[in-house]
Amino acid sequence: MAGLPSMPTVEAIPIELGRLLGAIFGVAIIAGLMGLAQMISARAADRRLVQTGYPPRTLLATRLAALGGVTVVVAAVNYGVLWLTISPGAPVLTFVFLVLAGLVYAFLGALVGALLPRLFEGSLVVVFLAMMDAFLSGDSPLAADVPEFVEYFPLYHPKELLQEAMFQGTYTTGDLGFVAGYLLVLLVLVTAVFGVTMRTSGGWSA
Amino acid sequence: MEASTTTKGEATSNKVLVRANEIEKTYGSSFPFTRSVTVLTDADLEIRTGEIVGIVGANGSGKSTLMNILVGVLEQDSGTVERTGTVGWCPQEPLLYDRLTVGETFRLFGSGYGMTAEEIDEAKHRLASKLDFEQYLDYRIDQLSGGNRQKINLSIALMHDPDILMLDEPYTGFDWETYLTFWDLAEELAADGTAVTMISHLIEEQSRLDRIYEVRDGQVYDVTDQEGETDATASERGEETDE
Repeated sequence: MAGLPSMPTVEAIPIELGRLLGAIFGVAIIAGLMGLAQMISARAADRRLVQTGYPPRTLLATRLAALGGVTVVVAAVNYGVLWLTISPGAPVLTFVFLVLAGLVYAFLGALVGALLPRLFEGSLVVVFLAMMDAFLSGDSPLAADVPEFVEYFPLYHPKELLQEAMFQGTYTTGDLGFVAGYLLVLLVLVTAVFGVTMRTSGGWSA
Repeated sequence: MEASTTTKGEATSNKVLVRANEIEKTYGSSFPFTRSVTVLTDADLEIRTGEIVGIVGANGSGKSTLMNILVGVLEQDSGTVERTGTVGWCPQEPLLYDRLTVGETFRLFGSGYGMTAEEIDEAKHRLASKLDFEQYLDYRIDQLSGGNRQKINLSIALMHDPDILMLDEPYTGFDWETYLTFWDLAEELAADGTAVTMISHLIEEQSRLDRIYEVRDGQVYDVTDQEGETDATASERGEETDE
C-alpha cells in the first residue's frame, strides 16, 4: 500500500454529509431535467396557443407552477430516503431547503430548455452542470482549494442551508437571501427568454 | 374550376385581408462556416375575402415558410405583412398538447381566442359533428389516430370562425369522406366571405381554387390563369421543367 497516494481526508467525510449531498444532487438533477423537458416538449404547441391570444405569462406561470409541484414531490421522495438514515435537526427546514435546491435547478433547467430547445443537448448541459456543481459545492476533499467563485454556483448556498438545518437545526439568513435572489434572477431570465421565444409577428385579433 | 369564374370576378372587387410585400427570408446560423439558405426573395401576394387560394410549389420551395410568415409565427427578414381580421391557422403537423383530451384542447385554445364557454361548446359540437369525431371528445390527443388528430388540428383553426383561414396541407391523413367534407366546408366558408388559403400538392385540387400562387425561385407567381399544370406540379412528379 506504500505506493498508493495518501488521501487521509477522504476517510474524514462524514457519511451523513455524503447522504445529504446525494439527496440534494438527486433533487437537483431530476428537477433540472423536468424543467428542461417542460420548456421543450410542447414548445411548438405553446407558440400556436400564444398566437391565438393566450397570454404567454399565464402559460409560463402554469408551467412553472406544475414544475414547482413536481419539485415538491421529488424533494419529498428524496427527503423520505434521507430520513430513513439520518434524523434531521430541523425536519421542516430540511425539507424546505431541499425543495429550494430543487426549485433552483428546476428554473435553471427551464432556462436551459428555453435557450437550447433540444432535449439531448439540453440534458447534457443540465447533467454536467449538476454534477460539477454538486462536486465543487459539496465540500468534497477531492475538490479542496476550489476558487471562491464556487459560492455563486447554484447548489452552494442551498447545500449550506441544508447542512445547517440538518446537523444544527438552524439556518443562516444570508444563505437564504442568496437562494431567494438566485431564484428571482432565474425567474426573470426564464420569463424574458420565454417571452422572446414566444414572440410572434402580430396578433390575430381583428 | 366550378364557381371559379364568378368567384374570381367577385374576388377582385373584394377586400384584401392579407397583403404581403417584398418578403425576404433566409435561414441562417450564427455559427461560422455554416450554410445559409435563402428561401424567399421579394415575394408579394394578396388574399381577399371569399377566395379559396392555393399555394403550390416544389418540395423545399418555401410554401410553409411563406405561410408561417403570413400567419405571423415566423418573422421575415424584410418586407411587410398586413393582416385584417381574425386568423385561423392549421399547421402541417398537428401542434396540440398530447396529454389533453379533445374537449380540453377546445377549451384551452378557445380561451386563447377569447371565446365564452358556450361558444367553445357550440363550436366543439358543430365541428365534431361535421368532421365526425364526436365519439372521441373524451379521448386524449395521444390516443387518437393520425387522421383524427388532423381533424382536431383543423377544427382548432376553424373554431372561432376566422376571417382568414391558413391551412398547410390540412387533409393529410383524412379518409375520402372526410376529404370531401373538408372541401364542402372550405367552399361554405368562402361563400360566407372567409378567405381560405391552403398549401396544396394535388393537381386535381387546382380546379377547386379561385386563385393559385406558385412559389418558385424565392418569388411568388400568380399562375391562376395559366393553362395546364404549374412548374411545381410537374417537378413534383419528377419531370423536367424549363424555368
